[in-house]
Amino acid sequence: MLRSDLAGAAAVVRRDFLVFVSYRFRFLSEIVAATLAVALFYYVSRLVTSGAFTSSDEYFAFAVMGLVVLEVLTAALVVMPLALRQELVAGTFERSLVSAFGPVQYLLAMSVFPFLSTLVRAMITITVAVVVFGMPVDWSTAILALPTVALGFVAFLPFALLITAAVFVVKQVGAGSGLLLACLSISAGVLFPVFLLPDWIEWTSDVQPLTPALDLLRHLVTGSPIDSVWTTTLRLAAFAAVLLPVSIVALSACLRYAQRHGTVLEY
Amino acid sequence: MNDAHSPTGTALGRAAAPALTGRARLVLDGVSKRWRRSDRPVLDRIRLEVPAATVVVVAGRNGVGKTTLLRIVAGIIAADAGSVALDGLSPRRNRRRYHRQVGFLSAGSAGLYARLTVAQHLAYWASLAFVPAGEREERVASALARFELEDVAGQRADRLSMGQRQRLRLALALLHEPTLLLLDEPWNSLDGEGIELVNAAILDFKARGGSGLVCTPSGHELDALPADRTYVLDGGRLEAGAHVAL
Repeated sequence: MLRSDLAGAAAVVRRDFLVFVSYRFRFLSEIVAATLAVALFYYVSRLVTSGAFTSSDEYFAFAVMGLVVLEVLTAALVVMPLALRQELVAGTFERSLVSAFGPVQYLLAMSVFPFLSTLVRAMITITVAVVVFGMPVDWSTAILALPTVALGFVAFLPFALLITAAVFVVKQVGAGSGLLLACLSISAGVLFPVFLLPDWIEWTSDVQPLTPALDLLRHLVTGSPIDSVWTTTLRLAAFAAVLLPVSIVALSACLRYAQRHGTVLEY
Repeated sequence: MNDAHSPTGTALGRAAAPALTGRARLVLDGVSKRWRRSDRPVLDRIRLEVPAATVVVVAGRNGVGKTTLLRIVAGIIAADAGSVALDGLSPRRNRRRYHRQVGFLSAGSAGLYARLTVAQHLAYWASLAFVPAGEREERVASALARFELEDVAGQRADRLSMGQRQRLRLALALLHEPTLLLLDEPWNSLDGEGIELVNAAILDFKARGGSGLVCTPSGHELDALPADRTYVLDGGRLEAGAHVAL
């Protein structure tokens, strides 16, 4: 059965890839968008003279890694629920409900292509930052950023599954996923160090997976200081290990709720 | 040919309920469904048996609950009460084995990916339906030939005519060689040639031992449908309709 499941998942990834490449300029426009985002933060960084950073270049590297993680988080939190909603509107989700593969496995498989394409965009973002804007890179550890991004995605996936689960119950979740994205971004310090946050809110950076993902990536790619690589990695892995099963159970429960109430195909 | 009022292949109308034999391939026993904010059930203790090599057509007005009935049998939504069994399998407890045996065609022309070609749709569905890897290519080629889709195999779904879309959707429903075929208004949007093709597919499926449950709106000439038995769904109950010998 595992082979059949893998074949089913591969078919979903291949489908998403075929749809993606059927739009000829989509990839090109994403490269341009990534380049412009990096350029924007390069010029903003020229204004940064805060004591939190020793130079404008240091803030630029800090912000670029924040952008990369933000892209991964957006892929997890926004793309998946949106894709499900599009499937409901187009009537294509119904096919997963009558397939041997099954809707929960199908939804999990739907997260793979957005992750892979985000990984490519992340590499493009870092490449543009290095080649065009001269961002310093610690080449001895930079390659480890790839498995770290993968681990980060798995740690963010539970949030995506919970929001996707909410689609089955309340149908419209755009505002909710945007709010969650904003809260996580602020509390993890995507574009600024978390010590700038008020004391009463700073603790939130310790209880979500975005912070360790950011700390690790910044350390591995740009060599920024970190307390302990292993402890931070374990924290990230723990978030994934604890939250993923919980979110899959929640997704299954919400799906069953919608099937019981006959609203599973409504949008 | 079974009589519509015999225990095998019987639907309960407002008359007394005959006992279910339990020998049929598909058995619906006391299936009920009521929508929230509605004081009347859309399906009221439906009992129906569909034996192997038998096609049952359910007709009814729009909104009477035909699609709800099919969706419950397909395992898409759950009944409030009662049970559905296909060769003893439950759509909930034996989901995977159940769905390997079910082919489903929803009403309308939706459910296709605009940017995927006809052949890509078939290959995609073959994997989701757990068609063995070694058989997928052959099944796709066979489906293309059988539903006269070879000429448009490389064409995107959004560039197909309504009739071609319906042929593709029917090919998807049958690709994994199910034993139960559920069709919701399969003749919609089809010209005479398309209707003949659907009817031929239903008869071929039945000839190979398959069971079919087909829903159609009222107004169709029931005698003209490729059915062994027809029922009318009204007020949440099934009533025996015309009985057509094939």
